[in-house]
Amino acid sequence: MFQKQIIMRRVLYSLTPIWALSVWLYGPRVVVLTAVSLALGVLTEYLYEKRRNGKVSEAVLVTATLFALSLPPAAPAWIAAVGIVFAVFTAKMIYGGFGRNIYNPAIAGRLFVYISFATVLGRSFTPAGNFGLGAGTLLGRPEVLSSATPLAVWRSGGTVPVLNLLTGLRDGSIGESSVLLILAAAVYLIWTKTASWRIIVSEVAAGGALALALHFAGVKAALPPASLLGGSFLFVAVFMGTDPVSAPKKPASHWIYGALIGITAIVIRTFSAFPEGTSFAVFVGNTFASMIDDFVAGRMNARKARAEAKAAAVPAGASPQGPGDAPAAGTGKEAAK
Amino acid sequence: MSGKAGKILKDNLWTNNPIFIQILGICSTLAVTNSVRNTLIMTVGVSLATAFSSLTLSAMQAAIPRKVRMIVQVLVISFYVILIDIVLRAYLPDVSKQLGPYVGLIITNCIIMGRAEAFAAANKPFLSFWDGLTSGLGYMAVLVSIAVVREVLGFGSLLGFRVMPQGFEPWTIMIMAPSAFFLVAFVMWWAKTVQAKAAVKAAAAKAGPKPAPAKA
Repeated sequence: MFQKQIIMRRVLYSLTPIWALSVWLYGPRVVVLTAVSLALGVLTEYLYEKRRNGKVSEAVLVTATLFALSLPPAAPAWIAAVGIVFAVFTAKMIYGGFGRNIYNPAIAGRLFVYISFATVLGRSFTPAGNFGLGAGTLLGRPEVLSSATPLAVWRSGGTVPVLNLLTGLRDGSIGESSVLLILAAAVYLIWTKTASWRIIVSEVAAGGALALALHFAGVKAALPPASLLGGSFLFVAVFMGTDPVSAPKKPASHWIYGALIGITAIVIRTFSAFPEGTSFAVFVGNTFASMIDDFVAGRMNARKARAEAKAAAVPAGASPQGPGDAPAAGTGKEAAK
Repeated sequence: MSGKAGKILKDNLWTNNPIFIQILGICSTLAVTNSVRNTLIMTVGVSLATAFSSLTLSAMQAAIPRKVRMIVQVLVISFYVILIDIVLRAYLPDVSKQLGPYVGLIITNCIIMGRAEAFAAANKPFLSFWDGLTSGLGYMAVLVSIAVVREVLGFGSLLGFRVMPQGFEPWTIMIMAPSAFFLVAFVMWWAKTVQAKAAVKAAAAKAGPKPAPAKA
């Protein structure tokens, strides 16, 4: 029934430790949300593919897992159901299925529920640890809620211990918990050439530089530098931005694409009414992905044409070299800018 | 005559629907469809404005110089739209307030201008009236069905009456314009799929006798 996709399997492997840790942090709720999301995601794609005798892509497993991991731990199961069906159907199958979608389906589903059910999801954060016992109940509505997600703490002027950010013992969405596990996954994905290191590096570098600049420039709304380890900034950089289908294709475009996502994420996180901006940032990045590719291709063609013109001009004669060189150097400088 | 009127009706409601085939009047589709009541009043307004301006323009077509016909069309259309606006303000002030500038913007609704140019300029007055009215109905059919989905999911109500159970959580995105974008897209997709299938079937029926025995 599944079409074998080794790249998608590697992403699933890299997500396993993060998922296992989240089960310890939030208990059976995580299992239910992941199960609902996987089952309905696969079902949606299966029903659609059956009509044209296609196979279900393994990418849908990644989409469903990432979507479940992006929810707050006590999110109601029906919200996961609505979100994943919307994600797979509207953001993927309608465009023609795997490989043809413009937007990352997991992000589309997440934004759909995030905008629709903002208040419910806002009330779905529970204290982390001990298989979710801190919430009072293991399933259903939690008795104890947490408003102390790291970003909220920083916003109200508090501090979050960096060690907790590294180990993942802090409140927040299911999958964004442990910085160490996310870094390990990033190393694995880059090592196996599954994810583009250019996207991850440029995203973190550009976003980090902007966050630091805002902080040290004394902007009032800016969060402290440690905020780069909180929220879903790293999780999104490693798993969402690097989706090979919705990212641009050329290696050179990866730099621009990653930087665009990183900067947008920090701008939205700092200056908007939304607590977190990473999903919107990936959406913006996806929107411009093909345009970036186009721009890079145009640049590369122009450079190639210039080089060829130069190569043709040199053996022809020595005298026209001087004036022929000058404009080329000028445009070269322009490109460097 | 009745055959022609029937064909116009079918054209405007289905085969040449202003929304999902001509893709006209999309701006108001996005703006006013989050409540069924407002949508109904808006689309009735558009239908009447289209019908009467088509009637008037068709009746006076011989008197309109070709070069200034657009100006004349806009004048006639705005006359009817202002009438609608005044009636709404007098009898349904709250709806008028909610619709805001969109009543006045009926003047620039492409459907009205489109019918005036494409139909009323070359047909008899009463047929033009019928064409304008049915075009408005085609617009209404699509907008009302979108509004039903948006109001039920976005507010949990239908025409202001609560239809969803107590614990229902409203889908905020349905109240916002983005939802209209993908709902309109769904309607277009559905209609074009059905029409394409019908076309294939009709073509197969025409060429019927040949491939049928081959299959058997």
